[in-house]
Amino acid sequence: MNASMINAMVSMNALQQKLDLIADNIANVDTVGYKRKEATFEDLLTNLKAQPETFQQPGRLTPLDFNQGWGARVTMIQPNLAQGPLKATGSATDIAIEGNALFEVQVDQAGNRAYTRNGAFQLTVNAGGDTILTTEDGYPVIANVPLAGGGTAEQPVIVPEGFSLVVESDGTVLATSASETRTLGRIKLLQASRPAALTPVADNLFAIAQGINVDDVVQAVVPNADNRISLRQGYLEQSNVQFADEMTELISVQRAYQLAARALSSSDQMMGMANALRA
Amino acid sequence: MLRGLYTAAAGMTTQQRRHDTVTNNISNINTPGYKQANAVSRSFPEMLLRMTGVEGAQRTEIGRWTSAVFAEESLSIHLQGDLMQTNQSSDFAIVSNIEVDGLAFDASGKAIGPDGEAVFQPQAFFTVQDRNGEIRYTRGGRFTLDGEGNLLTGDGSNVLGTNGQPIRIPAGVSLDSLVLTEDQRFVDGEGNDIGVQLLISRIENPNELVREGNGNFRFKDGDGAVRPTAAGERFEVRQGYVERSNVDSAQAAVDLMAALRAYEANQKVIQFYDSSLQKAANEIGRIG
Repeated sequence: MNASMINAMVSMNALQQKLDLIADNIANVDTVGYKRKEATFEDLLTNLKAQPETFQQPGRLTPLDFNQGWGARVTMIQPNLAQGPLKATGSATDIAIEGNALFEVQVDQAGNRAYTRNGAFQLTVNAGGDTILTTEDGYPVIANVPLAGGGTAEQPVIVPEGFSLVVESDGTVLATSASETRTLGRIKLLQASRPAALTPVADNLFAIAQGINVDDVVQAVVPNADNRISLRQGYLEQSNVQFADEMTELISVQRAYQLAARALSSSDQMMGMANALRA
Repeated sequence: MLRGLYTAAAGMTTQQRRHDTVTNNISNINTPGYKQANAVSRSFPEMLLRMTGVEGAQRTEIGRWTSAVFAEESLSIHLQGDLMQTNQSSDFAIVSNIEVDGLAFDASGKAIGPDGEAVFQPQAFFTVQDRNGEIRYTRGGRFTLDGEGNLLTGDGSNVLGTNGQPIRIPAGVSLDSLVLTEDQRFVDGEGNDIGVQLLISRIENPNELVREGNGNFRFKDGDGAVRPTAAGERFEVRQGYVERSNVDSAQAAVDLMAALRAYEANQKVIQFYDSSLQKAANEIGRIG
């Protein structure tokens, strides 16, 4: 009976979700390394109102049964990892990635990892008294650091006192002073071959949900000319949200919402008429 | 008894169905690959009314009459939707304008064959396998790659390749690094085939498809006239684009109003019948 009403309500809910997503994107139009979130719609399961064989009349174009849809829903919220514009800042701890790669950071003592494009790093003194490279929120940035006995370990870069930080385009981290240059390690970069499996979490980080094999989603990569990945010290990657795109989407969602609201009030009027059959 | 009372009631039900269908179109105005549905109404079979029990030489036939109307079918309009560029490497759009020898299809995708029969234009569809393993067809080309590299639709159906198997992108290969060729094969930056080709199905008469939701269509009783598309047929799959819903919002707004007002008109007719009945029941033959 009130299929229109249910239908309109369901799709207004879905449109509201999309509107929230657009608001989130617009709010992050100036967030360093932010990746635009995208969602898409899908029509909901339909049902068939059964019709008897006698309904198979000449001129009918479709198989028997009347097909009834129930609105739309939002599916597949995933980040768009397109490159954002680079902005020069001149700060030695600002590092931007050019190309498809992510920094790896350690988010807790247990060693759990998260991924980010936000290269606005800083030098922080850790519990052991060493100066390490971390994100603005204090998560250590993972690098491949050479060990004294040979080989490398994945751990934060420790910057010695009195040295300044130099990051080369292939990720090599050097510490320089007036008299000496030391190689501290190479910032670990990961290429996301399954970007849809990256879940945006707080602090501008991406996480990989439990149950998904991390090696399937991201693979370690060393910047070179072939993979067109490089690091730029003194630059920050800006948000890849395009204001015009978001506004266009906003308009189209808002108009769709209006139309659905109109269908809702129209079906309300119809129910009113059915009620008023007998005054 | 007043026959028209039930005719008007059937009219209200029919307009309700039409309204529901238009509402569903409006709901899916932003759904990629959605095809607009139209509710088609049909009148009940005609009957001939004849007067009975009349003396003399009067004509006893009253005339032809149809007793009611019903919503017969929900007809999907399988016309091409607009393409929108998204630059997402997991988005694919089909542009389909398949030609059939000797037939010139009009803007609604219909042609009249040599024997006078209406023929509908064949359409190209992505072929997917839903979670129950059933084959489905869709135009919604917003796909995603799961962690294992399976190409999936929004509801988790596997997109099928020409070998009939779900498409799987090899580990470590990103869709960004692959290019879709004209014959729907994926090749890497150097032009090397990775052995995956999209299966695009050609549905001879798209009206035979039943809408299932989640963007998918199926044949009502399993099989219908469908075959893989061949080289040289007029269709194209574009990567980085989506096909927008083909719902016309202005048309939908007008249809909504039309259905509402037709519903109202039928409601008024019932009220008029009701007032006639009330006269018959309460006023005729009243004394005093």
